[in-house]
Amino acid sequence: MTSRWRLRHATTYTYARPVDMATHMLHLTPREMPGQKVLSATIRSVPEAARITTGTDHFGNVVSWLFLDRPHERFEVISEAEVESGFPPPPAAETTPPWERVVAEAAGEVAEFLFESPLVPIVPAARAFAAQSFPPGRPVLEGLLEVMSRIRREFTYRPGVTGISTSVEHVMTTRAGVCQDFSHAMISGLRGLGLPARYVSGYIRTYTPPGRVRMRGADQSHAWVGAWMGPEHGWVDLDPTNDCVVSTEHVVLGWGRDFSDVSPLRGVILGGGRHTLHVGVDLEPAES
Amino acid sequence: MTSGTDEMVDGRGRIRPHWQGLIGALADLPGDGLSERARRLDAGFAADGIGSLLPGAEAAWRCDPVPLPISGAEFATLSSGLAQRATLLEAVLDDLYGPQELLAEGLIPPSLIFANPGFLRPCRASLPDMRARAPLMGAYAADLMRGDDGRWMVVCDRTSRPAGFGLVLENRRQVARAMPESLRASPPRPLRAFFDAWQDSLTTLGQHAGGNPAIAILTPGTRHPFWFEHLLLARELGCALVEGGDLTVRNGALFIKTLAGLQPVDVLIRRLDGRRMDPVEFGATGSRGVPGLLDAARHGAVRIVNDPGTGVMEAPAWATVMAALAPRLLGTELLLPQAETLALSDPRTAARILADLQEAPERWLLRPALDGNAAATDPAALDLAERARFSRQVAEDPAKWVATRTPGGSVAPVVAAGRLQPRPVQLRMFLVHDGVGWRCLPGGMARVLREGETLGGRLPGTGLAKDVWVLTEDRADIRGPAITSGPPIAVRRTAGDLPSRTADNLFWLGRYVERLESSARLLRLAASRGARGDPSPRELADLAAVARCLIGAKLLSPEDAPSGAGPGPMLTAISRAAREGGPLAHRAAEVARLTEAVRDRLTGEMYATFSQPLRHAMADLRAARGLDALEEGLGTLLRLCAAVAGTAAENMVRGGGFLFLDLGRRMERASATSMVLAEALKEPPSRQETALRLALDLCDSVITYRSRYLTTLQAAPVLDLVLADPGNPRGIAFQCAEIRARLSSISDGTEVELVRAARALQTEVEAMAAGIVDAPDQAVAAAALPPRLEALRAAIGALSDSVTRRYFALLPAVQTIGSPLAPVDRPLMGAA
Repeated sequence: MTSRWRLRHATTYTYARPVDMATHMLHLTPREMPGQKVLSATIRSVPEAARITTGTDHFGNVVSWLFLDRPHERFEVISEAEVESGFPPPPAAETTPPWERVVAEAAGEVAEFLFESPLVPIVPAARAFAAQSFPPGRPVLEGLLEVMSRIRREFTYRPGVTGISTSVEHVMTTRAGVCQDFSHAMISGLRGLGLPARYVSGYIRTYTPPGRVRMRGADQSHAWVGAWMGPEHGWVDLDPTNDCVVSTEHVVLGWGRDFSDVSPLRGVILGGGRHTLHVGVDLEPAES
Repeated sequence: MTSGTDEMVDGRGRIRPHWQGLIGALADLPGDGLSERARRLDAGFAADGIGSLLPGAEAAWRCDPVPLPISGAEFATLSSGLAQRATLLEAVLDDLYGPQELLAEGLIPPSLIFANPGFLRPCRASLPDMRARAPLMGAYAADLMRGDDGRWMVVCDRTSRPAGFGLVLENRRQVARAMPESLRASPPRPLRAFFDAWQDSLTTLGQHAGGNPAIAILTPGTRHPFWFEHLLLARELGCALVEGGDLTVRNGALFIKTLAGLQPVDVLIRRLDGRRMDPVEFGATGSRGVPGLLDAARHGAVRIVNDPGTGVMEAPAWATVMAALAPRLLGTELLLPQAETLALSDPRTAARILADLQEAPERWLLRPALDGNAAATDPAALDLAERARFSRQVAEDPAKWVATRTPGGSVAPVVAAGRLQPRPVQLRMFLVHDGVGWRCLPGGMARVLREGETLGGRLPGTGLAKDVWVLTEDRADIRGPAITSGPPIAVRRTAGDLPSRTADNLFWLGRYVERLESSARLLRLAASRGARGDPSPRELADLAAVARCLIGAKLLSPEDAPSGAGPGPMLTAISRAAREGGPLAHRAAEVARLTEAVRDRLTGEMYATFSQPLRHAMADLRAARGLDALEEGLGTLLRLCAAVAGTAAENMVRGGGFLFLDLGRRMERASATSMVLAEALKEPPSRQETALRLALDLCDSVITYRSRYLTTLQAAPVLDLVLADPGNPRGIAFQCAEIRARLSSISDGTEVELVRAARALQTEVEAMAAGIVDAPDQAVAAAALPPRLEALRAAIGALSDSVTRRYFALLPAVQTIGSPLAPVDRPLMGAA
């Protein structure tokens, strides 16, 4: 089953003083991948960039660089895309290999997601939290699904209590935060056990169909966890904020070791003084 | 350290053949000849300022008078072995930042890439239309020691921004000068050809720009321990020396900001940590990088030598896989041995090494697996408790460590206490890629290892080096002069080419030299008046006026001014001013810092005048006890400042550099003179004679006045002389006229606004003097001047600010948005 989505992500910075020059690095274009087809994608900004470069980063994500060289007091960047997505359902959990075997087989490229990264150190509390769901010999996906559910149950979704650099340690203590915090905490726990885990940046449907629950993390950038189940089954995407396996209601922008690798917008500006930020995201079903 | 091999003497106690010429020459030196030569070398380095005059940087590299000769045959072995190793390192880099096949084939453990802080993911990003990549590594250095079998083996690879190229040049220059007999007896192969080849290859590398490519060296700045080396390299390669703040990326290309606008850079030699090169890509870890630089590099608009990502190969753990990678990538075995290195990530190896730590601690040196800059730990040098603690640390996470078999090493003779004594040495060799292949510098640097020092890694900021002489087997091989001489140091550019930051630094150097001089003049005056002892009421009033000037010049705090308690606290305070941490010492330190920052713009003569004598004068002042000694020391300092001005006037081309230096000096003098005049004249008309005498004293115009008017002190002629006389080089009007002329020259006559402001200052000064002449009571009119003089001083300050804004490109604050890793940066200022 696939869904067709129309995506619009607008980011606006308003500066107290004019910015003379700016360089921005954007991870705002959905990547093409099995289960996700990008039908169209555009990025534009106001004021218009003097120069735009688009390429592929180390992880294979689409990355764009925008260069502005005229004074401006406001910077708006709009990413629009039409995406068809439908990620295949995961294998039956009990048929997946024991998690210890997955640990032993994590080599080569996937091993990148075993190591500590700038925002995800291996925190003993996170490791201990994850370990409760991985008794010896348990099929890896069973453990993964349980960790995800426990985060949904035991952590409180509370926007505003954390920032983009809140530490995993802090989140494990307060057990509160938003999608990014839950993802970082889960990744830290899995890596602590030797299971490859990556940070996936993207979106979840904004609209709520009649009779369905409104999704958390809508109207903004969303994030979840990619976990590796061994060479046979590969990666599965798990959304601990909503306790669901990613299938037809998410759109993937890209992945990395943690938020710092796929930050939707990062820039260096000259001048500007204080700034305010406004982000608006719409992910609506496209009429075909 | 077992120090198996003696470089000079073979197993049977005979001098090795390639040492014989050298030893013969040394033997012919008179009695204490060696110590004398060692002193001469130290003096040479001190005079040329390798031990820069920056505070705290006194101890720099020294050089031993006895070189380390290497036979032509041995050099051939080293050179081909290192060229092969560089080729292999480049091939690995090409794979790491490309397809990563070696990882997929299991030839490289994932941690060596993914946990390696030197692996820079942004350097692996690709563009759809990216053309074939230029080689990632353009320069390479290797540290070598001798193994138990006496062969040189590699202990450390420097792939990112290998240090020492410039030090080798300087060592050769100084040793050649101090040891002419040795040079004749055992001539080494010259170094120049290597640098010529490097320069050629950089030019070729920049051919994408067409024509004559611009090459620049990016340095972290004057506070970096190897700044001097960056300067030497810039001179040798004939390229610009720049800091991050000098550079900007516009429309995908790199430029230097100069007074005449932006000038392109086609090749950038990187001496900055790779992770600091571009704050957009790596997160803002300091404002020294250039936003957008990586984008320019990806498009091929600028070539960075070496690529920011090359540091990945400096991890000591590479030594565990290099031997296996050579056949896969080159189809051959490694030519040059490397120190046996084991990864403790293998549990059996870890167990074995941990056991050895207890039973045979001298067997292994331990290094962090992924940090090529960390020093190795020698377990044998630890006491029992330390060793136990260290073992626990290693056992906690063995995968973070590698063990390297302690090399047998070698010793070479070093001059110590007047004799030659054997000391362990480590060799650093240098290579560059000349566009076709790797070329090895026929020379190098031997580091004399200190007590407890083991394996390579980062070159320390200080130490004792030996020049390495590669001997020619055949005299006919010698081409060109054996002694390298750097190109003459001179101001090469007109105003327009001057980087804004350099102009800024020269301007402030001018201001600080003048500030130092006027401070010394004021302090000397205070010391001489205070030394008279038991002052009369008139002298006390005089001292109070001097105190006001000292306060105005921030040399005295108001609470130390003479009061009922007498001049005691003030005299203590002025003695303190020249000591460590005092205002005069601070001003001298600023002069030293700025001198260093503009060093590439100063001639040797000028630098010689600015640097060492200043340090000595300040040392004398620090040591001065009593007012007489202080007065004498300040006199020396005054003469020195005058010499600086004279040398600048005589030696600097009247281009941009001199213009800004002089502009700063004139502005400071105009400002300081208006301050002291305002303070001196704050006396009732009845006491004005004192005030006028003080004014003449402070403006160094006593002699001029006496020659014109003998001893009759009157307000109108005195103030005319110090204010309006266009011929008095100490007067304010003279400064204003000079400021106007300099501003006009800097802009080639196009600058209107600032020139007009300078003209207005001059008019005001002339009006002040004319007002006194025309006044019915000169004394009363003079006593009313201080507010006008203070306003004048403020106007001079405003003009200085305008110059700063107009020419020095004061940049607004850099900040990072949207990044979780970046604290808000310091403002990026135009000044260094």
